[in-house]
Amino acid sequence: MAKGILIAVSIGIATVLLIVIGTIWPVSTAVFFAGGPGLGGSASTPIAASRRLANEIHQHALAKAYSSLGNKAQFTEQEFVSDLTGSTLSLRTYATLDTYEVRPLHESANEAEIALRMHWSTVVGTFEETRDLHLVKNGDHWVVDWPLVKKPVVPPQVFAVNYLRWDVIYRGAGDDWGSQDVDAPHVRIIDMHPVNRAEGVVVLGELLNEDVVPAYVSVRATLLAKNGSVLASEDSFDKISHTLLPKQVTPFLIRFPGVDISQIASIRMDPISVLVSASADPVIEVQNQKFNGPPAASLNGQLSNQSGQIVNIAHVLTTFYDKNGQLVWVAGQYIDRALLPQTPVDFHIPVPADLAKNIANERTVVASYRSGSSD
Amino acid sequence: MRGLLRGTVKRTESVAPAAPPIPMYLIIMAAFAIHLPLLIKELPLASYDANFHIFFASHYVHHWFNPWNLKWFAGFSQTTYPPLPQQWVALISRLIGLNMAYMAVQMAVIVLLAVGVYRFSLLWVSPRAASFAALASVFLGSESFLVYSAGQLATTSAAPIYLNALPFLFQWVRYGKWRSFVKASVLFTAAAAAHHATLIFGSFFFAVPVLALVFLDRGDDESASTSGVVARTVTIVVFVAIAIAIVLLPFWISLIRYPVTQTPIPHASRANYILSPQWGMNYFVVPYGALILALPFLVVRGAMVPRLRPLLFGFWLAFLVGLGGTTPVGRVLLGRAFEVLTYERFSYWATLLALPILGSITADLVDRFHTRAIIPLSLLAAGTCALAVSWSTFHPADAANFDVQPVAQWLNRDGHYDFRYVTLGFGNKLSRLAVLTRANSVDGESNSARMLPELTKYGGGALTSSKYYEKAGLDSLRAMLHHADHYGLKWVIVRDSYYDPLLHFAGWRQVDSLEDKTITIWSKDGVPPAVPMNSEQIPPHWQGVLWGTLPFGSSILAILVLLIPESRDSEWDEDDTSVAQANLLSGRTV
Repeated sequence: MAKGILIAVSIGIATVLLIVIGTIWPVSTAVFFAGGPGLGGSASTPIAASRRLANEIHQHALAKAYSSLGNKAQFTEQEFVSDLTGSTLSLRTYATLDTYEVRPLHESANEAEIALRMHWSTVVGTFEETRDLHLVKNGDHWVVDWPLVKKPVVPPQVFAVNYLRWDVIYRGAGDDWGSQDVDAPHVRIIDMHPVNRAEGVVVLGELLNEDVVPAYVSVRATLLAKNGSVLASEDSFDKISHTLLPKQVTPFLIRFPGVDISQIASIRMDPISVLVSASADPVIEVQNQKFNGPPAASLNGQLSNQSGQIVNIAHVLTTFYDKNGQLVWVAGQYIDRALLPQTPVDFHIPVPADLAKNIANERTVVASYRSGSSD
Repeated sequence: MRGLLRGTVKRTESVAPAAPPIPMYLIIMAAFAIHLPLLIKELPLASYDANFHIFFASHYVHHWFNPWNLKWFAGFSQTTYPPLPQQWVALISRLIGLNMAYMAVQMAVIVLLAVGVYRFSLLWVSPRAASFAALASVFLGSESFLVYSAGQLATTSAAPIYLNALPFLFQWVRYGKWRSFVKASVLFTAAAAAHHATLIFGSFFFAVPVLALVFLDRGDDESASTSGVVARTVTIVVFVAIAIAIVLLPFWISLIRYPVTQTPIPHASRANYILSPQWGMNYFVVPYGALILALPFLVVRGAMVPRLRPLLFGFWLAFLVGLGGTTPVGRVLLGRAFEVLTYERFSYWATLLALPILGSITADLVDRFHTRAIIPLSLLAAGTCALAVSWSTFHPADAANFDVQPVAQWLNRDGHYDFRYVTLGFGNKLSRLAVLTRANSVDGESNSARMLPELTKYGGGALTSSKYYEKAGLDSLRAMLHHADHYGLKWVIVRDSYYDPLLHFAGWRQVDSLEDKTITIWSKDGVPPAVPMNSEQIPPHWQGVLWGTLPFGSSILAILVLLIPESRDSEWDEDDTSVAQANLLSGRTV
C-alpha cells in the first residue's frame, strides 16, 4: 500500500515538475509555436520592452501591442495597425514578421533609444524595415513610444487620363491561351553580360521589344561547357519586367548559384515573347534618383503614381552602367507600401560595393501589380 | 472474430460473486450505433489525412504491383508508406467506391479496436473490467479525434491489430505455446504492414509492460523460468523482426537509400500546450476528454495494484511523450526524431494503455453505485466522443469546402495533362484532386515521400499551403516556380489571391478561371512538356511484386491463423488467480 502511494505521488510530482520545466525552459519548437523567444517577457529593461513589442507584432497581437505603447494617445489603434500592415492592399497586408533585431542607440536612467530592425516575409520575398523606438521608464517598467509614419492625405481631385491601350481578340472562348494565330512580338536581347560573383555566375542583360505591339516576355539562359554539355539552365524569374510595351526595354538578371565563369564556354540566350493585352497605365514616375557610392552603395529615389488608380505592389528594377555605357549590374526592390495616386514613396536599392565604383549612371523601370487586374 | 475471442487470456474470478462482463456483441453494436452513421455520412473526408489515404488507395486500384506513382512530386514511390489499410481500401473500392471503402475499413478498424482493447485488458484486469474498457474504446476521444479530425487511418488500423497480438505474445512468452507464437508473429507483422511506427513505439509502450507482466505473474511456474522467458522473448523479437524486414522490404530499402534528411516541418503537436493553449485544446483536451478527470484515479489505481504498475508506467511514458513540447521528455527520448514525429498518436496510445485501468475503476464504480455511476459515466463518455467527433466542425482541417471536380476536368482536357501543375490554397483537397485528375503535380502531402530539393530544403510543408509555413513555405514555393521549366510545371491553380503577386512578377499569366472566378489558372510560356523524372528512385519490378503481395498477404494470413482454435490448457486457465485477487484488493481501495 505504502509503495503504491509512493509511486502514485512520485508520478504526480514528476509529471508536474516536467511540465514546469517544459514551460519555463521550452524546447525550440514549443518556443516557435508560442510566438518566439521573449514571449510574455517583462519590460524591465528597454531591450526587453522592445522585444516584447516585436513579439506581439510577430504574433499579430496588434491590439495588445497597441495597448502597451506609451504614446498611444497620439493615434488610434487603427492607425497603428495601418502603419504596420498598410491601409490598402500591399505587400505589408499579408507580411509576417520573420525575425527582428534590437540595437540600443542611447540609454539614460529614464529614457532610451532602440533601433528595431524587422525582417518581414512576404509572398515575393523579404523586406527589411528599421524603426527607431523611443522608450520611457514608467515606474519599474519601460514603455515604447511607437514612431508612427503618418499616412499622407491626398485632396480629392479629378484628372483626365490619356494613355495607350492594346487589346487582343482571340479566336474564341475555347481557345487555349498561348495557341495564338499571330506571330510572337519581335523582341531582342540588346545586351548580355556574365558576371562572376562569390555565389556563382550572374547573367545580366537588357531585352528590347522592337515590335509595335505589347509583349509578355521572359528570358532563359543556358550555360554550355567546353564540351558542349549543358552546365545549367535558369530563367529570369522576377528579375525582369515581364510586360513590355512597344519599344520598351527591360533589364534582366539570371543567377546560376555554384557555377564558376571559368567552366563556361558559351551562353545560349532564349528570349520568349507572347502577344498580350496591355496598357500604358498606370504611369509610375521615378523621381529624385540619387546614387550613393561605396561603402554603403545604393540607389535612392521615389516612385510617384501618376494615375488615378492604386498600385498595390511595385517592383523597381534598375540597370547600372559604367561611363562607357556598359552594363555593370542589375538590382531591384519590391515596394512594401501601395502606391497611392500622387503620393511619392521612397525606394532604396543596395548595390554591391565592389561594383559601385564602376557605376556612372543608371536607368530604372517599374513593374506593377494591381489587385483584381490580370494585365 | 471467434478466433480472436477464443484466444484471449482467461481470468478466474474471485471468491466473491461478480457481475458478468458486458457481452462483446453489445459492445460491437454500440460501435456500429455510434460510428456507422458518421461514417456513412463520410465525415472523415473532412479530416486532414483521409484524402491522402484515399489517394494512395486509388493508385493501388490501378497499379497494385507498381508502387511508382507519377501524380505527386514528379514521381514518387508508395513504398515510402506501409500499404495495408490503403490496399484494403483499394480492394473494397471495387465494390463500393473509394470513399465508402475507406469508411468500411475505418469501421472495421473501430470494431477491431474494441475487440483488441478487450483482449489486451484481460491481461491486466477482470473480464468485466475488460468489457468496460472495450466499451470505453468506442467512446474514446483520441480514437474519434484520429478518425474524424486527423484521418490517421494507418495509426488507427495498426493499433487494434497490435493490441490483439499482445495476448498471444503473453501466452507465448509465459507458456511457450507455439500456436500463440505463430498468431502473435503474424499479427505483429500485419500491424507493421499497417503502420510501422506503431510497432516500433508500441514495442516500448505496450510490449515491454506485457513482458514485465510475465515476470510478475510467473510465480513458481516452471515453464516461465527467467531463462525460458528471455529465450522466448528473444525468439519472437528476432522472428518478428525478420518477418517485418521481409514483408516491408521495399520500405526499408527506400528508407536506407533515401533517409529522411529534410528540414523538419513545424507541427503544432510539438507545441507546449500551456504556452499555446489553442494547441493544448486540440491535442490534449479533445483527445483525452473526460479521461482528464480520471487521470489522478488512473495513477492511484495503477500504482496501488502491483500487476498494473507496468501498464501504468507504459501509460505514463506515452502520456508524457504525447504532451509534445509541454515537457522535455519527448525531446530527450527521441532526439532529432522529435522534430519529425507528430504526437497525437502518442496520446492515442496513452489512452489505449489507460483503458484497462479505466475499465477496472469503472467496473468498481458501477458495481458499487449502480445507476448513480452509470449515468454520469455515460454522459462523460458520450460528451468525450461528441466533442472529438464535432471537433472537425469547430476546428476544420480545411475551412473551405469546395468541389475540385471542375479543376480535374480542366486538367484532363486539351492536353493540359501533358504538363505538371501545382495548386495554391487547396489545403487537403490536393489529394482529392490528385485522385480525380490524370495530370501530375510537383506537390503532394506525403512528407516522407518527397525527394525534390525545392520541397525538402526549406522546412515548408505542401506547396499548396505555403503561406502557412511563412518564410520557409514561401521560399520553397519560389524555388519550385523558379525551376518550372525543369519540371514541366506549366499550370498553377490558385484558390487564394495571396499568391497572385508572386505569380504576376515571376512570369506567370492568368489564362483561365473556374467556379465563378474563385479558382484561377495561371500559365507560364516556354515550359516544355513534362518528362519522366526521378528514375533512379523507381523501385524495381520485384519490389512492386513484394509490395503488392506480402503486406496484404500478412493480413490475410492473420485472419487465417486466428481461425486456428486455441487448445484448452488447464494450466493456463487456472493459473491466474493472483490477477483476480489483485483486482479485488484494488477494488476495495477506491
